[in-house]
Amino acid sequence: MFEFLFKYPRDDYARSELIYTGDWPPWLLALLIIAALAGISWFLYRRRDFARPPQMLVVWVLQLAMLAVVIWLLQQPTLSTEQLRAGENVVAFVLDNSESMAYGESESRLQQAMRSLSATLADDSSLELSVQHYELADRARLVSSFLESEASGTGTSIAASLTDVLREARFSPLAAIVLSSDGADTTGGLSFSDLAEIAGFGVPVHTIAVGRESIPEDIELTDVMLPNRALPGSTITARVSIRHDAAASTRLKVYNGDDLLESLPVDLQPDTKNTTVWVNIKLADAGHHHIRFSVDGIPGEQELRNNSRSTLVEVADQKYRVLYFEGEPRWEYKFMRRALNDDEDLQIASLLRVSPNKFYRQGIESPEQLEKGFPTTRDELFAYDALIIGSVEAASLTDEQQAIIHDFVSERGGSLLMLAGPNGLGNGGWGQSRIADVLPVRLPPSTTDSFFRKKAAVVLTPQGADDRMLWLADTADANRVAWNKLPEVADYQVTGNLKPAAVTLLQVMTDIGQLPLLITQQFGRGHSYILASGGTWRWQMSMPVEDQSHETFWRQLLRALVAHAPSRVSLAASGDGGSTGVSLRAEFRDDAFRPIDDIGVTAIVTHQDGDSWSIDLLPSVDEPGVFQADVSPTASGNWYFEAVAERNGEPIEVARASIHYESGQAEYFNFRRDSRALQRLSEATGGRYLEPDELDALPDLLRYSSSGLTETNHRAIWDAPAVFLLLLLLKGGEWLLRRRWSTI
Amino acid sequence: MPKGFYSTLIAITAFTLIAVAVAWGQSSESGSSRAVREAPGEFQFVRLAYSANRYGRGGWGRRQMWQTDWPDAEHHFLKGVSRLTRVAAAEQGRILTPLDENIYDFPWIYAVEVGYWHLNDQEAARIRDYLLRGGFLMVDDFHGTWEWSSFVASMQRVFPDRPIVDIPEDDEAFHVIYDLDQRIQIPSRMFIYSGVTWERDGYTPHWRGIYDDAGRLMVSINFNMDIGDAWEHADWPDYPENMTALAYRFGINYLIYAMTH
Repeated sequence: MFEFLFKYPRDDYARSELIYTGDWPPWLLALLIIAALAGISWFLYRRRDFARPPQMLVVWVLQLAMLAVVIWLLQQPTLSTEQLRAGENVVAFVLDNSESMAYGESESRLQQAMRSLSATLADDSSLELSVQHYELADRARLVSSFLESEASGTGTSIAASLTDVLREARFSPLAAIVLSSDGADTTGGLSFSDLAEIAGFGVPVHTIAVGRESIPEDIELTDVMLPNRALPGSTITARVSIRHDAAASTRLKVYNGDDLLESLPVDLQPDTKNTTVWVNIKLADAGHHHIRFSVDGIPGEQELRNNSRSTLVEVADQKYRVLYFEGEPRWEYKFMRRALNDDEDLQIASLLRVSPNKFYRQGIESPEQLEKGFPTTRDELFAYDALIIGSVEAASLTDEQQAIIHDFVSERGGSLLMLAGPNGLGNGGWGQSRIADVLPVRLPPSTTDSFFRKKAAVVLTPQGADDRMLWLADTADANRVAWNKLPEVADYQVTGNLKPAAVTLLQVMTDIGQLPLLITQQFGRGHSYILASGGTWRWQMSMPVEDQSHETFWRQLLRALVAHAPSRVSLAASGDGGSTGVSLRAEFRDDAFRPIDDIGVTAIVTHQDGDSWSIDLLPSVDEPGVFQADVSPTASGNWYFEAVAERNGEPIEVARASIHYESGQAEYFNFRRDSRALQRLSEATGGRYLEPDELDALPDLLRYSSSGLTETNHRAIWDAPAVFLLLLLLKGGEWLLRRRWSTI
Repeated sequence: MPKGFYSTLIAITAFTLIAVAVAWGQSSESGSSRAVREAPGEFQFVRLAYSANRYGRGGWGRRQMWQTDWPDAEHHFLKGVSRLTRVAAAEQGRILTPLDENIYDFPWIYAVEVGYWHLNDQEAARIRDYLLRGGFLMVDDFHGTWEWSSFVASMQRVFPDRPIVDIPEDDEAFHVIYDLDQRIQIPSRMFIYSGVTWERDGYTPHWRGIYDDAGRLMVSINFNMDIGDAWEHADWPDYPENMTALAYRFGINYLIYAMTH
């Protein structure tokens, strides 16, 4: 109907510009308009006795409208449309041939894509476009046709591949790109900068989405998070994420090499697409451990390769150093040291003020250690990973020492734990000290006695229940039972108001209600904790000898404290079976933890089979002391990295890391159709996102593309039926009204 | 008998019994349990009220042997602890039996005249459990062969498999705050009258102990000496000051050791 009335389809109007091709000069048109306006007005004024004023006004408007349409027609209205020049343009058809495109049921994604692309041109031969065929995987590849295309690409980088196509076609009249893909990108997706770079070429990218967003018959181990380093005999916790589109039951298995460590049933609930499972793993021996996680397939599952992930954990005899500064002999001191006594990975050096003029040192490594009391230099304090301050007054430390403690947390990234006591926390004046900023609470003033020698029961907060540091048993339910069984602590201290970033992990039940007991917050690079009791020793004395709750609490708390503290020299390797490369990040600091920049860093990359090469790490622009590089492993297996920092040709520091890498695994993971990525790509480039059943629109999208070599097509619309119909309506309407009013 | 004599007698008797019962209840309420709930100091001197053999039970106005030197010994010692250390010590001592559940709230206990104790199996098990959980026991003021054998008989019920050994000279218990290199027999106050430092056939003082599996001293055994008397008579002009000072130092070293190991 639109086309009948207006001569051309609605889309033609949408993509065209309305111009006027009439030769009449503007002054003549203006003169005509004024003359017509005056003439009509004068004519009607002369006949004013034949009709009432409202009737005269209606007739005046209708005649004026009639005159306006005639003048508009005299201007010769025309549609101006940009369209591709026939036979002179190129369109790039890009077919995603990565391995994820092999997935399908009766027809694979690749077959769907090939069918959609070939149908595009077959439907309309008037396009006369030259077609270039590209296959897209981790990079683009020009091919003569798609007839021999196979889903064989081991990675997908849409951004890099499209950039390849656009750069190749820089000097040819590329009208558009048509990409048929599942959108599953193994490089982490299209970033804003990727989209901006692609859009900068000015070529619209039309996307045709294939595959399914929801695959109920598939489950996938999307992520496994666990530390890549551990201490011998320590228990590390792995967080395993499982993607699923429907409810199912499966079993999670954890292997250390070929040894089965854990086998847990997992129920995947229908109301979520991601289920997280926590698994505790105990690694006894030093060395590299290949840890593999796998979930059993569910009925009908085709792609089982995404049900398994591997990682490498290095168990090393690293000693963590903790300094415990205590102002008075007390039972908490004794029982804490006893609880940590068997933990060979923690070295607790303590400085205890036994009398007004005497300190007693324990756990020291040399006679000189702490000989002059609490550390007075950054180097001395920063050699520790965590600091515990007990029942001691802030005034016992100088301003400089307090400033060093502040920097110990904020710059060195160490952990500070402050304990309650008659001279601790608020009573000790720490609220007015240099480290008040570091603490997670605003301590009450020292003029108020906030310490109470009263027994009180301890309860977990929801955040504490989720924190593995506070797990005294293997499961969440068993942990709650274990905490409920704990005897009361011997005393508690009122801590004051929490700061905004503080998290309360434990509370204590007192006469005045529940008060925070264990509180933490991040401060700078480090963390601060407050344990508002000096009476957890009752857990040891009031429970059976064989009960390990007290020991477990302190070991896990101290291990969490030191685990937060970064090493002075470190190397991190990231990227496992789910990615296409490995990123190295080395950080070098001096004894006072100041970044070292005047060095060159080289990484020696070694495969488990012995293949080895070196690569230079480049300094980070944003972070002083940080050096980075990307490595492309050439084979699956364990990879070992050694970053050597050199100054004047002499090696000064070495940092090591390792990783387990599975080549070609990326395409099996995260392979559900990513429609949103394709939509964003089309929107950013001025193209159109199409479902397979919307391909009819593609020929016109190409014909009227804004890119490439175009020509302007002018089409007159003065003779559109709608114009004459309008004129007829205006004149006929006036005639009918005048007949009705008997003014004719 | 006058009329109403029996009913008056019954009423007086009943009133008396009720009053005693109420007083008893109040004393037990305000005694250990309440005091334990609101402890006045980090360190509380606990005297062990042990079961004694037939020679140590007291009676007819005599104290029981575990009461020896009470209360001045702990009173003086606690003052010394507060004056010489940073330990927050309670001003008064406390008395507990081995089977008192509250004993676990006090990781340091003192037993005197242990040559007369006689721990039954239940009491021995309780002491063993207490020590293995981390408690510390100081025993003192027993002398000679007979009292030693009596002490050991009960101690072996506590730890049948742990030997009693001499505490080495370099043990931290002798150096944790004071370097106690002198081995001088600390006598009872009878020394003032008799001039001899020993009692019975206990001529040679011995500093012995029992250790746990980690090598920590759990029981300090002060045999053939009377540290408690030296504490008790610290304010007696005739008692040698140097003996009192040494006794304070041994006591404080044991205490600091117990609070640090």
